[in-house]
Amino acid sequence: MDFRGQTIIVTGASRGIGAAVAKAFAAEGGTVIVNYLKNAEAADRTVEACKTAGGDAQAMQADVNDRDAIQRMVDTVAEEFGRIDTVVNNAFRPYTFDPDNRKRFDELAWTDYRDQVDSALQSAYNLCHAVLPVMKKRATGSIVNVATDLVARAVVPYHEYTTAKSALVGFSRTLAAELGPLGIRVNCVAPGLVYPTDASRDTKEAVKDAIIEQTPLRRIATPEDVTGPVLFLASDWSRFMTGQTLYVDGGLVMG
Amino acid sequence: MTERAGYLPGIAEADIEWQTLDFQRGNAALHVEVPVLDDAQMDALAVRVKLASRTILKALTVSEIVDITDRAIARLLDRNDPYRRKCEALLPLVTGYDAEMVRLGLTGYLKTFRKPNLQKFIAEDFANPKILDEFQPAPKGGFTKAIGPDLLVHVWAGNVPGLPLWSMVAGLLVKAGSIGKVPSGEPLFAGWFAQLLVEIEPRLTDCLAVVWWKGGDTAREDALLKQADTVLAYGGNESLTELRKHVPITTRYLPHGHKVSFGMVAGATLDTRKAAGVAQQAAYDVVRYDQQGCFSPHLFFVERGGRVSPREFTRYVAHALAGFESKYPRRELTIAEAGGIAAWRDAAETEALSHPDMEVIASETGTWCAVYSEDTTTLNPSGLNRTIRIVAVDALDDVAPLVAPFKAFLQTAGIAAPPEELHRLANVLGTAGVTRICALGNMTAPEAGWHHDGRFNLLDLISMVEIEQSAETAAETFAPYTD
Repeated sequence: MDFRGQTIIVTGASRGIGAAVAKAFAAEGGTVIVNYLKNAEAADRTVEACKTAGGDAQAMQADVNDRDAIQRMVDTVAEEFGRIDTVVNNAFRPYTFDPDNRKRFDELAWTDYRDQVDSALQSAYNLCHAVLPVMKKRATGSIVNVATDLVARAVVPYHEYTTAKSALVGFSRTLAAELGPLGIRVNCVAPGLVYPTDASRDTKEAVKDAIIEQTPLRRIATPEDVTGPVLFLASDWSRFMTGQTLYVDGGLVMG
Repeated sequence: MTERAGYLPGIAEADIEWQTLDFQRGNAALHVEVPVLDDAQMDALAVRVKLASRTILKALTVSEIVDITDRAIARLLDRNDPYRRKCEALLPLVTGYDAEMVRLGLTGYLKTFRKPNLQKFIAEDFANPKILDEFQPAPKGGFTKAIGPDLLVHVWAGNVPGLPLWSMVAGLLVKAGSIGKVPSGEPLFAGWFAQLLVEIEPRLTDCLAVVWWKGGDTAREDALLKQADTVLAYGGNESLTELRKHVPITTRYLPHGHKVSFGMVAGATLDTRKAAGVAQQAAYDVVRYDQQGCFSPHLFFVERGGRVSPREFTRYVAHALAGFESKYPRRELTIAEAGGIAAWRDAAETEALSHPDMEVIASETGTWCAVYSEDTTTLNPSGLNRTIRIVAVDALDDVAPLVAPFKAFLQTAGIAAPPEELHRLANVLGTAGVTRICALGNMTAPEAGWHHDGRFNLLDLISMVEIEQSAETAAETFAPYTD
């Protein structure tokens, strides 16, 4: 895949899946905007890694839930690079995937759901709003939203997280239907449990083993496993795909 | 592969000098041999066709001619017919148009020449078609008959596949002997159609001919034109002006010069459900025959005030052009054509520098380009070959005054608007010089019996012969049964 001359925004790219995705784009020659919220040091490390990988990168701080901040970031990118080819909505609020201590439904307040909807959906909404005028000008573009395979198979019932990510899948399909006639594609990548990341740090070995046992490819996903499908959906190789969700979980979910 | 063009009754192929036109498309090469007649041959051909026109064609009834034509068209619509196969195989090679576009275009076009359409075609110009067969009583008294020319000369131009069919059929319907000169851009179809007609009705053998000469070969031109009763010519205004100098004053000259067509989109049509579809139709008109037809759009005027803005509409059109590029790839351009559209795009991009409201959207490979503009004072026509300018206007009523200065060049307006608006606009556009109003998506497919450039396809060709009432009354006085 060749992303030379292309500009890619990856949110939440200082660590975990976001950082891996940023590096993968850079390795294929892309110019990556490494968006981050707090950890400037980690973002700088991603930028360095991107440059070492052969691409170009720039760290940009912006809270994905702050519409004005995101608009400013997109304006800066558009002005500096003239084009935005791909947006990867990856950032989400800290959420602990701890099956042993998760909240059960009767313990959940509506605000817990709302927080997750803000995390998964409002962030994507903000960035899509800001970036679409730039993409529409060239009648082309790709938006990749990071969901989870839990939307199809609730291996562990993380209610508020999975509900919000399910909304993101619906959001993506609907947006895909509207933007198709304008040449802009919207797809989701739905990873299974990814380890190691900060979010999955507390997931117990027994859970990992149980998942591995049911996963045809017999292991847990790494952040790097997620990069291939994201790059594919950003590239011309998937030019006739939109509104799709690609599950990246070793076959745990099929279909 | 070699194919001979033309149809030349009464001249042995061995006696003809053939010239070869080469067409190369990718790996496929086609050599078309076109006939170069000498003066004597051209002269003899004209005499032969005129005679057959008078003795054979004029003796057939219009109904018979309609039947023969209908049978020929049916053959061309049959995808297993050898002529149809030749059309599908060779016309893409000759014209460079995508094979699928040619195939679908031919079917869509040919079916407008079936019997019911031919009948409509005639009814459009003659309230009583029998007037072409025999004297008919006239409302004012007396009798009239419509008589077609003995020799109708057609000078065709361009490369839209099958275009000569219009005038060939018009000639047949008024019982005119026809000699047509094919353009080098598409020298084949007319000859095939003539051969097919003769195959179906051998009596027509000498009634028509298809010839060729190199553009500017005035000696050959003169040899034919001096024999013609009527000359029907297509092309640019320069070549038509040149041709007119060679047409004798007693000969009727019917030129069809280059025309400009455009589209109009009402704000009322641009809601969130319909906008993408309207844009798709607009793009289709741009894609069909790569804007080489007189009916192809050069500009779209899009009204503000809809849910989808003219700017967004341009983006929909851009993506639709990209979609069509995979379905109907643009034909391979000559270096001059490619340079032409590159220059057009450069000019638009330069203009955009001083007009920040402008937007230039183009494919990376240069196969299409859509330009959005808010400037109604610069109505640059398109650079052809899938380049289109879309101009935002406050109201579609503003359009007629904008195009009126180009009255002599206007032809089709493709309109997407609610009924009341359609009729109101039609009124002002008609005054401004537009002669055909159709739906978007139909711009390149005029319906049977349309008035090409506002003219009468058949009436323009004929002469009326009248028996005045006085002759009738006087004759009565000489009748043997007079008391």
